[in-house]
Amino acid sequence: MKVLFLGTASGAGKTTVTAMYCRYLARRGVRVAPFKASNLSLNSYATSEGGEIGIGQAFQALAAGIVPVTDMNPILLKPGGGGRMQVVLNGKPCSDVTEGRPMDIAKATSEACKAYDRLRERFDAVVCEGSGSPAEINLRDRDIANIGMMRERNIPAVLVGDIERGGVFAALYGTWKLVPEEQRGLLKGFMINRFRGDPTILGSGIARIEEITGMKCLGVLPYADLRFPEEDSLSDSRGKMSGKDVSSAFLDNLDSLIGEAERSGFDFEALDAIAEE
Amino acid sequence: MDCIRKKVEEEVKRGTVGPDQSCPYHPSHFIGQDCTFCFCPFYPCEDEKLGKFIGSKRGKQVWDCSDCLFIHRKEVVGFVMEEIRRSGFGECGDERMAEIFFDAKERFWRRGRPVMVLGATSDAGKSVTVAAMCRIFHRRGFITAPFKSQNMSLNSKVTRTGSEIAMIQALQAQAAGLKNTDYHMNPILMKPKGDMVSQVVVEGKPLGDYDVRSYYSDFVPGPGRDAVRRNIDFLLDRYDIVVMEGAGSPAEINIYDSDIANMQAAEIADADCVLVVNAEWGGAFAYALGTVELIPEKDRGRIKGIIINNVRGDVEKMRPGAEELEKMLGIPVLGIVPHADVKLPSEDSESFRGSRTVGAGSVRVAVVKFPRISNFTDMDPLFLEDTAVVFADRPEEFEGADAIVLPGTKNTISDLEWMKENGIAAKISSMKGKIPIIGLCGGYQMMGSKLSDPNGIEGGSPSEIDGLGFFENVTRWEVYDKCVRQARGEIIATGGDVTGYEIHMGETDVREKPLFSLERFPGTVEEGSLREEEMLFGTYLHGVFDTQDFRRYFLSFVKGGRPVAESVDYQEYVDINLDKLADVFEEALDMDRMMEIVGAVR
Repeated sequence: MKVLFLGTASGAGKTTVTAMYCRYLARRGVRVAPFKASNLSLNSYATSEGGEIGIGQAFQALAAGIVPVTDMNPILLKPGGGGRMQVVLNGKPCSDVTEGRPMDIAKATSEACKAYDRLRERFDAVVCEGSGSPAEINLRDRDIANIGMMRERNIPAVLVGDIERGGVFAALYGTWKLVPEEQRGLLKGFMINRFRGDPTILGSGIARIEEITGMKCLGVLPYADLRFPEEDSLSDSRGKMSGKDVSSAFLDNLDSLIGEAERSGFDFEALDAIAEE
Repeated sequence: MDCIRKKVEEEVKRGTVGPDQSCPYHPSHFIGQDCTFCFCPFYPCEDEKLGKFIGSKRGKQVWDCSDCLFIHRKEVVGFVMEEIRRSGFGECGDERMAEIFFDAKERFWRRGRPVMVLGATSDAGKSVTVAAMCRIFHRRGFITAPFKSQNMSLNSKVTRTGSEIAMIQALQAQAAGLKNTDYHMNPILMKPKGDMVSQVVVEGKPLGDYDVRSYYSDFVPGPGRDAVRRNIDFLLDRYDIVVMEGAGSPAEINIYDSDIANMQAAEIADADCVLVVNAEWGGAFAYALGTVELIPEKDRGRIKGIIINNVRGDVEKMRPGAEELEKMLGIPVLGIVPHADVKLPSEDSESFRGSRTVGAGSVRVAVVKFPRISNFTDMDPLFLEDTAVVFADRPEEFEGADAIVLPGTKNTISDLEWMKENGIAAKISSMKGKIPIIGLCGGYQMMGSKLSDPNGIEGGSPSEIDGLGFFENVTRWEVYDKCVRQARGEIIATGGDVTGYEIHMGETDVREKPLFSLERFPGTVEEGSLREEEMLFGTYLHGVFDTQDFRRYFLSFVKGGRPVAESVDYQEYVDINLDKLADVFEEALDMDRMMEIVGAVR
């Protein structure tokens, strides 16, 4: 099984949804691993072999019930200020890139694919997370985690739209439209995240997006005041957290999120079907 | 009428004066107005585009043209002065005056041009774009007004006629150089009370409470649409340019037909639109494309430009994407606007997520972050002093605070209960007498001994609860009525100035020493509560920190009486920042193209 969660913007909820699906599969006995080809973050985690990966993937590995390894996030970019970024490749710092000396995208993509292939070998399911928005047309040639992985490995994808700021239908449709035609067919479904209120009010809008894009709506996730690890500095969620330690508190939060999703009619079966393709 | 004629005669003798800086009321309408005809030679013109009849106190109908700007336009003054002098004032009877008025109107009256700013999301930067455009047009000599048909916000302000409008429209009016802000600029204001219910304020007065469904089914199609039409017409009859602001996204296709804040308002005003997208969270091109293409064809043609806003880093990196977007949509990108580093009051709870500290000064002011916190912009002027303001919603965050503010709230009773349950009330009580504590509006009501809501007006169901007991005061909500008025006066203890405004339901029986003496016709009234030895302060006034006198007075109680930094007048400070904001936009936007879209010429 394989699936890629793409966001319509940063902070749309990709990291959490990826963790949620990892947890969902793991609870049903599927051997699952998270994957994010490339991550831009200063929050990193040290694996047991002493490799460095984004904190989001470590958290997702916890959700999957496995030990984090560097293959889950082969490329980590750590902004160092002044336009300088440290590239961590397969867990080890490899070089600094700057505007004048950018990253070798072809090489990075090939390393990402190798890491992905290794996970596919070892696990039944690989649940992937995209990075930022896949519709940054000014950066299309440099994209690895979204369009890059779809192109190289034909991974079916699901769009996550955040409704909290409004404009979610525009974001879903616009993102779909701006994904290059060759990859657009891989966009199989979408979901609406962080909704407050009665979801039936969204019905006509969802139907319209399904009709014009051909993507299936998997569901509407209610706004959950739960705390998850922060990947970047933009989101500032605090939310509830309780339990004997941080790990079990996160797992409890994921379980209640899955419960909420199931109660609200989230279509996990359709998601499974997309991942099985 | 004779007395007005006499005044006009004096005005004609004196000649053109332009903006009269020597007048204590200047500028009564807008910065740059011509004050030559303080008394209008055409009064009462009875032209319904410029004024209306209102009932006087004695029951007579009188002509009210207090919102008319026509006679304060430079070109009108020049023409009218010349015409009157040509005929000789003595020869200008009613008939000749009416003729001059007719000619002047024929020559100079034009219906204003509307332009609408839409946002791809909440927080896209619509409000600041409108503020920037108001300031740019004002600087270019256009008499400009902001307009937002419907605003959901708990930050409101009081106009000179005692109406309530959203704080942000008042700020935009300031950007436009206007002094006569009124409800026309925000005819519908929704103030969320919790549980999906909002108080709906129409044309400055509370109409009632609506939930989402009743708002869309009962209010929007009838009174809502009418209010939008009436007020946009009002502004277009008086101003050169009306910069309209949309609400949320215009592409919410599930509620498109009942959305009066976006494309329907544009249609009513026959306005062309520009779409603002916030680049900060990524996905800006997708949001822009999706928004335009999801708007039904009949309305899509109104969108004449796109603004990519709030770009951090190199704006040139966005350029190739912007060009591709232009090609796909056939709509020009008017500019890629860098993140503007300005300090202006912000509006939504959206930009207020999470707890945050503002400022890095040495005096730590903890503000209770109520779930229904309102008018949190009251705290903005504190940033001019040596403070760090923390919005706190957990008891431990009050530890080590040098001062505490209990701000306003849309629901005093439920927020007081919230504060008691989570331990903040106990924490603050334990700090009483050790550091200065001030309650503003709802926070002031909480500081009393009892709060009684026998009809469930504030809390939803009848209740009576104990306050914090810092004051002996008792607050009661008897009737669904709101006190809305501006205030000015002095701090009793120091004689310093204070200004502000009241917006509240409920009345308080004050049993404490008063804090302020306010001017209220025909004399003065006492307001607020004070226990100086316990460092407890309470007032209904919002905006109390705007004057330096009161800021300094309050902060002087901070331990050790720490000296505070030199600071400027808050309104002046806001004005400087509005200019900076306008500079950023003017620099980034294709202004020729923008002026073409607006279609206003001078």
